[in-house]
Formats: sequence, C-alpha cells, structure tokens
Amino acid sequence: MQDGIPSQNLNITTRVITFICGLLLLMVLFVPLWQIELSAPQYPEGLVMKMYPHKLAGNVDIINGLNHYIGMKTLHTEDFLEFTVLPYIIGFFAVFSLVIALILKKKKWLYTLFGMFVSFGVVAMVDFWRWEYNYGHNLNPNAAIIVPGMSYQPPLIGYKKLLNFGAYSIPDIGGWIFIGVGLLLLVALIVELKRKPDYEKIK
Amino acid sequence: MKNYLFLSIATLLLAVSGCKPKNTGDAIDGDAASKVYVAPGKYDELYNFVSGGFSGQVSVYGIPSGRLLRVIPVFSVDPEKGWGYSEETKPMLNTSHGEIPWDDQHHLDLSQTNGETDGRWLFANANNTPRVARIDLKTFRTSEIIEIPNSAGNHSSPFITENTEYVVAGTRFSVPMDNDNGDVPISTYKQNFKGTISFISVAPKDGDMKIAFQLLLPGMNFDLSHSGKGPSSGWFFFSTYNSEQAHTLLEVNASKRDKDYILAVNWRKAEEYIKQGKGKKQVVKYAHNKYNESTHSATSIMENEVTVLDVKDFSDIVYMIPCPKSPHGVDVDPSGEYIVGSGKLAALIPVFSFAKIQKAIADKSFDGKYGGIPVLKYESALYGEVKKPGLGPLHTEFDGKGNAYTTFFISSEIVKWNIKDLKILDRHPTYYSPGHLSIPGGDTRKPYGKYLIAYNKITKDRYLPTGPELAQAAQLFDISGDKMKLLSDYPSIGEPHYAQAIPAEKLVKNSVKIFKLEDNKHPYVTMGEKNSKVVREGNKIHVYLTAMRSHFSPDNIEGVKMGDEVYFHVTNLEQDWDVPHGFAIKGAKNSELLVMPGETSTLKWIPEKVGIYPIYCTDFCSALHQEMQGYVRVSAKGSNVPISFSLGKNSDAPDSLLNK
Amino acid sequence: MKKLTIICSLALVLAACGGSNQDNASTSGASSTEAVPVNDSKPAYDPNRGEGKFHDVKLAAKLDGKMALNGEKIADLKCTSCHKLTDEKLVGPGWKGVTTRHKPEWIMNFITNTDAMIDKDPKAQAMLELCMVRMPNQNLSDQDARSLVEFMRKNDGLK
Repeated sequence: MQDGIPSQNLNITTRVITFICGLLLLMVLFVPLWQIELSAPQYPEGLVMKMYPHKLAGNVDIINGLNHYIGMKTLHTEDFLEFTVLPYIIGFFAVFSLVIALILKKKKWLYTLFGMFVSFGVVAMVDFWRWEYNYGHNLNPNAAIIVPGMSYQPPLIGYKKLLNFGAYSIPDIGGWIFIGVGLLLLVALIVELKRKPDYEKIK
Repeated sequence: MKNYLFLSIATLLLAVSGCKPKNTGDAIDGDAASKVYVAPGKYDELYNFVSGGFSGQVSVYGIPSGRLLRVIPVFSVDPEKGWGYSEETKPMLNTSHGEIPWDDQHHLDLSQTNGETDGRWLFANANNTPRVARIDLKTFRTSEIIEIPNSAGNHSSPFITENTEYVVAGTRFSVPMDNDNGDVPISTYKQNFKGTISFISVAPKDGDMKIAFQLLLPGMNFDLSHSGKGPSSGWFFFSTYNSEQAHTLLEVNASKRDKDYILAVNWRKAEEYIKQGKGKKQVVKYAHNKYNESTHSATSIMENEVTVLDVKDFSDIVYMIPCPKSPHGVDVDPSGEYIVGSGKLAALIPVFSFAKIQKAIADKSFDGKYGGIPVLKYESALYGEVKKPGLGPLHTEFDGKGNAYTTFFISSEIVKWNIKDLKILDRHPTYYSPGHLSIPGGDTRKPYGKYLIAYNKITKDRYLPTGPELAQAAQLFDISGDKMKLLSDYPSIGEPHYAQAIPAEKLVKNSVKIFKLEDNKHPYVTMGEKNSKVVREGNKIHVYLTAMRSHFSPDNIEGVKMGDEVYFHVTNLEQDWDVPHGFAIKGAKNSELLVMPGETSTLKWIPEKVGIYPIYCTDFCSALHQEMQGYVRVSAKGSNVPISFSLGKNSDAPDSLLNK
Repeated sequence: MKKLTIICSLALVLAACGGSNQDNASTSGASSTEAVPVNDSKPAYDPNRGEGKFHDVKLAAKLDGKMALNGEKIADLKCTSCHKLTDEKLVGPGWKGVTTRHKPEWIMNFITNTDAMIDKDPKAQAMLELCMVRMPNQNLSDQDARSLVEFMRKNDGLK
C-alpha cells in the first residue's frame, strides 16, 4: 500500500496462517518428529525409538542390545550431527514464519519460505534414508548372527519384516505437525496466487 | 501442483498406518479347557519331570493339568524338607570342594530299557560343580550323586544309552586336567586346556554309578548330546562349539567359523579298548555319595582314580561331523537313523544320516583332522537340510509319527517338520522364546506323541506381574492332530531346561507309601516309644525321639548344658501313608526335619544361651497337632542338672495358682 | 483333660456293653443294628465282626506264649505310643479288657483295615468322637495282627 504495489503484500488470511505455522514449528522443537516401532514375539509390548529434533529417545538401549547380535552399530544421539543442527533449522523456520507474518509481510518471502521448507523436507528424508541404509548394511563381519544376503535397513515409511522383528516407521507428533505446516503454507500460497486478480483490480 | 504431492504423501502415510500387522494374539481352541481339565481326585495322564535350572532341584508336574506335584531336592539344600540340613542328607551334597549348597540343574533323562522309558530312575546333571545325580522313582528322592573329575560345566549330561548302560557327562568348559598344573596363563588355552567326556556306567540292578572311562578331547566347548538308538545304538553324539578355541568374548570369537562340529562317539569301541586295558589311570579326586534307604542315611566317599582314553591315540573312537554355526541341540530320531543338529546361529537345520556317516567312515571321506580327530565331509554325512525353518533353532524332539518339532529361540516358535522330506508342516508361536521342549518319550524309540511342552525363557505379560522377578513358563500343546494346538500355560520352578515325561502307570504302581519300621537300620533309630531316651556321650547328647500322633517321646528334656552338641534323632513311628511329622527347635541354625513314616532323621543343635527351648511338630499331623510340642532345658556349663527326660509326667503344681 | 479321660472310660464301659450309641441317653439295651443308621442299605454289616479280611478267628483256649511275645514286640514298636496296657486312655483307649469287649476278628479287622472301619463301624466312630484322633493304619501283616490279639489276651490275664 505504501509504494503502489499493494499486491506484493500478504493479505490478513495468509499472514494469520503463516503466524500459526510459526507457532506450530516452535512446538515441534519439543515433541518427537519420527518413530520406528519394533515388534517381535518376545516383545509383545513393542519397542519404540523416537526421534526428537535434538535427541534419540525410547527403548534405544534395548534396541542397541538386540542389534549387536546382527552386528549393527549402536545408536547414540552424539553420533548424529543432525541432532545438533535440527533444532536451529526448525527454530529458523519458526522465526522466519513469524517474521514474515508480522514484519516482512511480503509474498516473495512466503514463496521463499515455502520453497525452503519443501526442500528441507526432501533433504531431511534423503538424509534419514541414508542413515537407515548405513546402519542396515554396514554390519560387523564378526556378528554372531549372519544371514547371507540379509540386511536390516528399516523402511523409510511403513512396515517391513526384519528377521523376527517387524519394523514400522512413521512420523510422530512433530512429523505430523511438520506435514501440517507444509500443507498450511501451501494453502497460504494458493490463496496468494489466487489473489492475482487483486493486483489487476487495483491497477 | 505441489499440493497434490503433499496430499498424496499424506494419503500414503494414512494408508501405511493401516497396513501394520495386528498382533495375532493367542487364539485358543474352545475345547482346550476340557483337554487340560483333570477333575478333583483324578490322576493326571503323565508325570512331567522338569529341570530346575538355577534352583538346583527337579520339579514334578502332572500332565495335562500342569499341576505341581512335588519338588525333589537334588543339588540345592531345601530347608522345607531338611535336605542338606539333616545329618543324614548332608553327605549327599559333599564334593571334592567340600559341602556345596547349590547347583545349576539343566538336563534330565529317564532310565531306558530297549530304548523305552522304564520308570526306574531319573538322572540329573549339575552344571556348575560337575555332578550327576540318580533319583529313585519309587521314592522320588535323590539316591546317588557322583562328581565328575576333569570337567568344568557339566552341560552335555546326563544323557543315557538305550539300555541305561551309561550316563554321559561332557564338559562345557575345557580346562587343564585335574592332575596337571592348573596355574597357567589363560592365554595358553590351545596348549593346556582339554575337554573330556565321561561315560558313567549304571549297574542294572541297583543303579549304582561308576565312572567307567573318560575320553580326552581337544579343548573346545561341549554342549549337548544324545545317544544313538536302533542301528546307531553303540554311538553317542555330542554337539560342540568354540572350535575357534577362544577364551574370551566367546559371543564374538566363538561365532566366527561357519561350521563347528558334532562329535560322533563309538562308545562300544571305546569300551573294547578299556577292556583291553588300553586306558590310562589318572589320579583325581571326586566325591561319590549314596543314600541308603534302610539306614535312611547318606555316605560320601572320595574316589581317587579315573581311566582315560586319549582319542588321538585311537583312529576309530570319535569322528567330527561339520555342523553349521555353533550347534546346540543334537537329537536322534526314534528310528536311530537321523541326527538333527541345531546350529543356534544357523539359518537352516542340517539332518545327518547314520548310514551315510558309517559309509563316509568306511570310505574315509574325510576333510582333514581337528585336534587329531578325523573330520567327515559335510556332504558325505548329510541327509538333507530343512530350509528357512526359523531363527535360532535350539532343540528337536520327535512324535514317533515321522515328525520332528524344533524350538526357535529368536523367532519364538515351534516348527513341525517331516523327517523324511524335510518339509515344514506347521509353526506355532510360543510365549516367549523357548529353550528346550519335551514330548513324553520324545528322545526314545517310542515317543508318546500326544503332548508337547515348550519351556520358555521369557514370561513377561503371561501371568499377573510379580515385580521384576517372574516365573518362567511351560506351555502345553496338543500335537495329536496335523496342527499344533496350544492348550495351557503354567509357571515353573527356577529355570526349566530339559524335561522328561512318562505315562503315569509306569510309576504309580511302584510308588513307595511308607518306610517299614521293621526295616529301619538307622544307627539311632528308636524302635518304639519304650526305647526313647536321652544319652550323654561326653559333650554330645543323643536324643532318641519318637513321633506319633500327637506327641513326641520324650517331650521334656533336661540336663543339656552350654557347650553340648545335641542330636535329635527323630523316628516317625507312623506306618500310614501321608503322615509325616516335622521337628523344629527354637534357635536351630539349620532347618526343620520332615520325617516320613518309618524313617529316622537327625537334627544337630548347639544351644547358644541358657534357657528353655520349645520343640514342636511342624507338619499338621492330626486334630491335636498343636498339642504336639515339648521343652528342652539348657543349663549353664558346669551346672549339675542331670540328664532327664519324660513324657506325660505332669507336675503337681496346685491348680489354685491359676485361680488366684 | 481329666474330664476327657472320664468320658473315654465311660465310652469303653458302654462299648463293653455291646455297642455304644451316639445318643448317650439310650439304654444299654438298644440293639446295635438300631444304632447304625448309616448302614441301612447294607444290613449285612456285622458290627461284631467289623469289616475286613478276617471272619472267624479260632482262638485256642490256652495262650500261645511265643505268639504273644511277638505281639508284645510289635505293640512296643507300633502301638504303645498311644495305648496303655491298663484301662487308662492315653491317645487311644487302654487295652485292659479289650479282648472281652471285642471279638478277635473285630480287633484284627480294625487294626488292619482301620480307615474303612473308622468310617463305618459304630463302635470305632464313637471312640473317635471321644479320642479325636483317627487311629493310624500301622501296616500290620495278618500274622502281626494275630500276634497282637494273642498279646492282648495275655494282657487280659489268659495263661
């Protein structure tokens, strides 16, 4: 409105959406992003590994104890650079969203945010898959149990049987929020794209 | 467009969460309850003898009800029954290391005649301080325990030959021999550590055990064993692991090789060499304890010699059969032709053929030697492999109808497969992680293929929680049909390993009800209340005590002084079934006595304070059980209270005292 | 305790009179069959013989001294913890006069077939009510049982 190209500004709806997204992303910092559930006959109660932005949690020690039979490396939060940077990245997206909603209020920033967000999601999943691959394949050749041709890579998403364990990999609360944020930003994006006629109108 | 991507991911995720397999649970057939229900007052169909593992005892269950009938004390003291506490039973737990109150009891084998259980004796091993026990099935009591020299961790024991000629004992840990200097660096395992397998002969008439000979073998771990039968009758098979000869971090270092060995022993041949005097005598020291039923007392003697055959010096006693990945169970089918090795880390089950083994030996189809022992070619001995059976195969038993049943620890299941075509017929989960399994007579020529019992290491949520420590579990299956049916769960004592079962009628008729008083040859028996007395011999006081519903005689004893050792020799004068009497005295540091009808048992007691000590019967024997009591007076050292004892002489203290 | 002894002795007297009754008020003239309601269905039960393998035990007029001595040994081992040789009750009734109260076949059946008799025999049941302890079966052979009767006869003064 200030210098004649009002169409570059976000309207109130998308600003509210972006603001909510920022708040939701702040919440993500405190809840698990992803979980891998394991079930086996002798674990009727199931085992679960939860991935928070900053740590691994759940039955990690028990899982490590079991994995040593097949020669899988033990899992430790410290071994993952991701758990150090992830909170900052998520924090950045949260702050960026709030700043766009409250200060910048420009469409191009919304587009930038969306692009970065989706790219980050894709990179994160690729990274996740890479870790799973390494843990599942780089096994200690001196392991007690070696099944020829067998690897133990958990599924990226979904269910897979690994020896006596069923592994079930799905997003946790944080992951679902993340996906929700993506969808909300998409809605905001569509709203803004549809607002193009506004620009015509004002002209 | 991006929205479609996201939407499709979301849809995918939702779809994925729908495809997680649900827990199958444990579906029980409607008629399972009626199959395990044994009406009150009715007898079970089978006796099930279950090893107690770290309890050191053997428990006896009724099948199919799963009712606990008795815990037989064997290698651990049992204050409930006075086992290891009464003077008569203390010698039973004597070893070359002195008296030992505990052991780890793993395997059981019932005596056999012509490859069938005959119901005479039950043999039990002690894993920690190597011993073998013989339990008499007329009395359900341990009647003999023999220690095994040159051994450490008596695991592949006490498996027996078809006619109970021998009970075997193979060492789990290889160690320097007893008469060698054992003070050597552990790292000299390969030079100094040896394995042995003992063949203990069993006298056909009274079951008397004697170490007939030992085979000296290369250092490795001997795990389990089973005797041949029928055509393979003169042979014994032992599984081995750690052919890598590791002495540290075995879980890694002993799991390296693709194959370890099953050791085939031609014991008839070994027997011949022993008869020809080819064995070498070795000086060793081991305890041999026997319980005499007429004196109701055990004796322990220290033996000092064994005869050893070094298998390296003989080309035809033992052969090695390669077997994949650390075999655990080695089980011989009822026909005696097929030998099943369960490599606990293997992804298949090899089945060896006895005929092929014989042919391979005749043809010298060898693949080098291991520790001087010829190694047969795997293929020359192999009948076939069961492919993809499950994870972590441990033990196999047979139903006598051509089928084998194998437990899988890791995948927590029992898999039924056909011995001839090696096809898998059925699989059933167990709850959880079974070790051994038992089919009554499942390791004999004539299995009783109606039931299968799995002994599970993990119980978790199967019973009401009892804190962190849970009972382990047995699971009963009906295997009379094509598919295994789970019938019931019941908790077990200690940690059950191997178990044996036998049709009840083979034992019931021989079960002893009482010990005849007339036959009681105990040196301190009291033959009738008239003979009850208290005798001082220096600082030892012998109390000849009788028990009868509902009094002891004598029940008032005076003249015991500080510094005395008091021996209560309790004779139960009852001659009726199920009328034991107990005996306890305040402050006793050992246990109670539980004395069966016609039996004499002795409790040693050293009083520590002057005063009056009550004695009483601990087993509710009659309506007047609470009246079955008495007093012992302990006086100061040097006091002049004379020995006196009485029964029924009440004092004349005026009743009026009570009325004041 | 004294009271119990008196009752027991009384019972012995009653038993000696030919069958005690649960109802102490009944006269000594009451016939023993009437006193056994349990055995209506089996009128064949002979309360004088009891139940067991012994029917007509023929006793010689004179005492068999050897047999009596053997009986005494068995009694010392298996019986006298509870039975006195006088008429005084200990755990069970004293033995004085037992051979005049019971026929030899009743005694021998009772000591060899104890549980069945306690469950059925009116005299044995009455005794149980007074003494409160079921007499144990002491696993006597037939010959042991016969020897005990001979010893009881000696105890009752037979020469």
